[in-house]
Amino acid sequence: MTYLLEAKDLRKQYADKLALRGLNLQIEAGEVFCLLGQNGAGKSTTINLFLGFIEPTAGAAYLNGLEVAANSLKIKQYLAYIPENVMLYPHLTGLENLALFSSLAGFSYKESELLAYLDQAGLPAEAVRRRVGTYSKGMRQKVGIAIAVAKHAKVLLLDEPTSGLDPKASNEFSELLRQLSQQGTAVFMATHDIFRAKEVGTRVGIMREGELVDVRPTAALNANELEQLYLTYMQ
Amino acid sequence: MIQSIAQKEFISTLRDRRFVVLSGLLLALLLAATLVGRGSYRTLQHERMVAQQTVNEQFHNQPNRHPHRVAHYGSFAFRPRAGLSFLDAGLDSFTGASVFLEAHQQNSVNFSQAQQSGSLIRFGELTVAFVLQVLVPLLIVFLCFSAFTEERETGTLKLLLSQGVSMRRVAWGKIAGYGRAVALVVGPALALAAWLLFGEEEFAHNPDVWVRLALFVAGYAVYFFLWIVGAVVVSARQRHARSALVLLLGCWMLGCIILPKATANLGATLFPTITKAQMDADVHEAAQKGINGHDPQDQRSAALKANLLKQYGVDSEEKLPVSVGGLVMAESEAYTSKVYQQHFADLTRTYERQNAISNWAGLLNPYQAIRPLSMGLAGSDFAHYVHFQQAAESYRYQLVQRLNGLQASMGYGDKERKLDAATWQAIPTFAYQAPPVGWALGYLLLPALALLLWAVGLSWLGLKLIDNTPVV
Repeated sequence: MTYLLEAKDLRKQYADKLALRGLNLQIEAGEVFCLLGQNGAGKSTTINLFLGFIEPTAGAAYLNGLEVAANSLKIKQYLAYIPENVMLYPHLTGLENLALFSSLAGFSYKESELLAYLDQAGLPAEAVRRRVGTYSKGMRQKVGIAIAVAKHAKVLLLDEPTSGLDPKASNEFSELLRQLSQQGTAVFMATHDIFRAKEVGTRVGIMREGELVDVRPTAALNANELEQLYLTYMQ
Repeated sequence: MIQSIAQKEFISTLRDRRFVVLSGLLLALLLAATLVGRGSYRTLQHERMVAQQTVNEQFHNQPNRHPHRVAHYGSFAFRPRAGLSFLDAGLDSFTGASVFLEAHQQNSVNFSQAQQSGSLIRFGELTVAFVLQVLVPLLIVFLCFSAFTEERETGTLKLLLSQGVSMRRVAWGKIAGYGRAVALVVGPALALAAWLLFGEEEFAHNPDVWVRLALFVAGYAVYFFLWIVGAVVVSARQRHARSALVLLLGCWMLGCIILPKATANLGATLFPTITKAQMDADVHEAAQKGINGHDPQDQRSAALKANLLKQYGVDSEEKLPVSVGGLVMAESEAYTSKVYQQHFADLTRTYERQNAISNWAGLLNPYQAIRPLSMGLAGSDFAHYVHFQQAAESYRYQLVQRLNGLQASMGYGDKERKLDAATWQAIPTFAYQAPPVGWALGYLLLPALALLLWAVGLSWLGLKLIDNTPVV
């Protein structure tokens, strides 16, 4: 079976630190995998390895069946990425930013389509033609979500995507993720937000010091149990 | 993809107030330099044309005179400025504007603007070329130093690359975008220059000036391309914008200020020029070995006279159909001219060797490649100066020998007689024909090649470096 995301004994050693210790993971289409862990646990390193921005020291990451390190450019067509803090081009408007990133991904949308994506992401209509330099963090995050959705990717790589979003926008984002997973998108989300992980995730993993120490289906745990499990590993 | 990134860079740059202020200042400087340069060109050109006409008329309107008196009366050759020299004055301000043409000696070209102006001109003029060569690269540095560092620092680079764009394509997009922004600053000034130039009858139908201007623009396009590529590569390889800016400013100082002066000093040290006094003394000493036309006791003159008597089969100077004095003068002129030309050629060779050091440095420093290319295409470099000097000397020699011929044809006792004033009107005056662009290109192969090598080498190596640049 071809997994949309797969890690085989994936390791990353920096000069003075072993950031990832033999990660083995498979994520299928329609699955939302939430990776919990403290700062420095290796979550961002894992995302960077799946994005092909860094090379593994050993092992391999696969995206849609392609080894990431050997196909770092090709695999980008199958993924969309939302960082913790979406930074856009401040001299361009939200609409122009979305048009730019979509065109780079190979999509040429009409303005009405772009506006629809921004609306779907929850960006107020009055903001779409304002320069991004005037946006709040949450508004930038919404444009980032629109960019990811407009790419129609098979895999979503999310690094603390709800950071900076207000509760209403976070809920809307969770709903959006559910819709995307129902359409077959595989989601890999690194987060600190246990509640959000329980709410949208189909599986949850806990990472500590570069090691995936536990993986559970979220259906098997309630929020409190998940929190207890997480705290146990973090002690 | 490249087009989208280029468009984004262009729009972002135009909306950046810092760029608008900086480029506005630079554009104002360029336009001012173009207009002032053109005004100065027209004034000087007019002055020199009027002066040349005046001396030509004075020469033609001489009264009845002995030809050798006319040879000593002499004339002047004024160097007309080249059409594009208002864009790049090159050496024009430091080389002379006119040369006195007289019998027996080859004078140097004198009365440069630097000689007649205050000492401030020695610090360089505000010409279009100065702005293009020195200030536009500075604008490019400020425009491009954060091309990648800012993207990396803010995190937009990861988002950009996650869309499936390679670092190389991002770099090309940025280069194209910044290129458009620079063209927006430089373009209006060059368009104004072209309009001023070709709006006048003098150059409207002159393909040579068209070709020179086209190559001038192409040369600067390559030069700016180099700076943009260099700045983008440095920005990609540095982790922080501050270190990229410091490195680029260091390159700018080294390339535009330190290296040109260092290589000029090195050239002058390796190939020292002799002083004017020493050269005059050397020429005088060498000239002594030839016939002295003004010394009747000169033994070589006596030998020439004896040969003439024998050639014409007569026994006294009175019976000769030619003037011995005129032929002695011609012989003397041929010899002294050879002596002067030898010494001027040696001096020119020394200057050329000095310049060659600087020109070869163009392989290390693009500024030292564009500078001679720009001057050469503008017609204000050393080669064009020497071309004028040689044309003036050639005219002087032919004029003096023609007058010596007239004297010789007067026969015995010529010194007591004069030729009719109409004789001088039949003598053609000095009319300088500047060399064509094809001739100039022969002198510009090294700088042109250096610039192209830089463009190809930097693009290839720089973008290879960018390919291997870590994203995070």
